Amino acid sequence: MSGQTTLSPDPGQGVQLNRKLLDAAIRVNTWLLAGVFACVGGFAIFFATYLSLYRGLPNPGNYLNLLGVFMPGYVVSHAGAWIGMFWGAIIGALLAVLFYRIYARSIESQVRDYLASGSRDEDLLGITLYFDGNYLGLALGAIVALGLFVTTSWLVLRGTAGESMNALLLTNYLPGYSVSYTGGLLGAVEVFGITYLVCRLFSWIYNRVAALRSGG
Amino acid sequence: MTSNTDTDKAILMAAFAKMDAVALAIALGSIWAFLLLVATAALILKGAPEGHVVGQHLGLIGIYLPGYEVSWSGALIGAGYTWLIGAALGFVLALLWNLTHYLYVTAIVVRSAWWRMMAD
Repeated sequence: MSGQTTLSPDPGQGVQLNRKLLDAAIRVNTWLLAGVFACVGGFAIFFATYLSLYRGLPNPGNYLNLLGVFMPGYVVSHAGAWIGMFWGAIIGALLAVLFYRIYARSIESQVRDYLASGSRDEDLLGITLYFDGNYLGLALGAIVALGLFVTTSWLVLRGTAGESMNALLLTNYLPGYSVSYTGGLLGAVEVFGITYLVCRLFSWIYNRVAALRSGG
Repeated sequence: MTSNTDTDKAILMAAFAKMDAVALAIALGSIWAFLLLVATAALILKGAPEGHVVGQHLGLIGIYLPGYEVSWSGALIGAGYTWLIGAALGFVLALLWNLTHYLYVTAIVVRSAWWRMMAD
């Protein structure tokens, strides 16, 4: 049948999957996740800005204003809240797309596991999602590592590496990190490892609770 | 023997599986609390040079989380706050994820019914 292909030869799972359907499902989920993260990212910056404005501190946005380094036009103000919302939505959506394109690789193995289990649940929307800690760690780790390297490189490129005292505080947690290309690369490797481990822990907790709640 | 219908259904199940909102709330809350605990503990154990305050910058979180400071008791207070914030965020994220899927599936069903009706 057109659009079908044989997946990797796992033992006892020489199952043919409809590649077109799989790609379409991944595409839909990517867009939906991008929408969710765009909403969350946009509103998070919007509310953080207003929280900073109305917290009653002497210097509202003293540190939050630093986001303007990466989001042109952003400052802690009424107009800045909307600009921040725009950037938050864009960045949130982009990160979601990048994340899901990596994480979606786990869907094939989830489908094979489901078919191998022999269960045939009739309720299409009644299935509970379980995280694959390995792919979650790889996807989120890659994003966080890339994010750290890109933001560090941006500070170097704009010539403010020497003044980036706040970025340097990361050395408390990432030994060897510095606001330079090599420091950014080293920090990216370290933060990838940390994020991967945290994701494995997160998946373990989520899957355990979800399994308990579904009686599994 | 696995039929094409089974495999197609398995793909849709994997793609449209719903998140367990309570599980995500507990997991995200726990991770956030754990991260703040570790971040605070790392600074306390590392200490600060003579005449400097430990965790001067991390302590700014206290602006948003009253009672938090870079100390052992502050770490526990902060962990409590971050558990609640992480749990709330996890719950909302799961609801949004499930809602978008329901809306998408509903839109497909309505559109398909519409085209069937037009064809009749």
